Amino acid sequence: MTGVISGNGQWAYVAAAYILTALLTGIVLWTSWRAMAKAEKRSDALRAKNRRGDGQ
Amino acid sequence: MHAYANPTRFLAIAKPLTPWLLGLGLLLVLGGAFAGLTMVPGEAKQGETARILYVHVPSAWLGMGGWTSLAVTGLVQLVWRHPLAGIAARAIAVPGMLFTALCLATGSIWGKPTWGTWWEWDGRMTSMLVLLFLYAGFIALTSGDEGQRQGGSLSRGAAIYALVGAINIPIINRSVVWWNSLHQGPSITLGGSSIDKALLWPLGLTVLGFSLLFGAIVLMRMRRIIADNRVAARLRRLADDEEN
Repeated sequence: MTGVISGNGQWAYVAAAYILTALLTGIVLWTSWRAMAKAEKRSDALRAKNRRGDGQ
Repeated sequence: MHAYANPTRFLAIAKPLTPWLLGLGLLLVLGGAFAGLTMVPGEAKQGETARILYVHVPSAWLGMGGWTSLAVTGLVQLVWRHPLAGIAARAIAVPGMLFTALCLATGSIWGKPTWGTWWEWDGRMTSMLVLLFLYAGFIALTSGDEGQRQGGSLSRGAAIYALVGAINIPIINRSVVWWNSLHQGPSITLGGSSIDKALLWPLGLTVLGFSLLFGAIVLMRMRRIIADNRVAARLRRLADDEEN
């Protein structure tokens, strides 16, 4: 083993890398999804309002 | 290519594609991570820490791949003025920066138990840090600019910045060959891989999975920009109608 930390101590570093990746990727996925859903909902609502306005 | 310049035509593909990329991406990443943590043996020299490979390598590839895509969209914007090129570039910047940051962070976490240090100012790590700053600069340059208010196109300066920044990509790639580094040399090349097959297969799953998630994030961000553009256009039309 060439690493300076061996044995079970290594798992803490592995866990930290995976948790950080899951956390940051999850945050970007969630915020992107929420922003998209909100913008598309607003756009659809405005289009429906425009259509009702045109029909009157 | 210009067939998809029309956002409606683009959305007809992007809307059904987004959940597929997201679902399949999550499945592959979870499967690859599970396999990498439980089904493969520890590496002979580095032990358990080598399992960080399955999140570190996809992050590095996507950080670099993201900027390559950014440079291509910058070129398409400059040469053909494709309306979706600027929108795509804006959508790529955040996930590109995310994966570059993850590459640096997971690499640092891997470095401590392996090399005995969190950070070393060598060619690979420094050029990757430069990439992170390039992404931050691009986001700062394009946030709230005139292009964002007018449909999402890139300014000439931002497109050139994306192209010039691409010089850093081959530097990152060759850094471990050009300079002495704590970082290992290239393990996976066009000629093959120096990683044992027993350790390699989960990497295929996580690379593909994270790439699909990257694609899903880009599509979501593009759809948001297009929806915002439509709202702005409708509000302008309503204001014009009220004036007349």
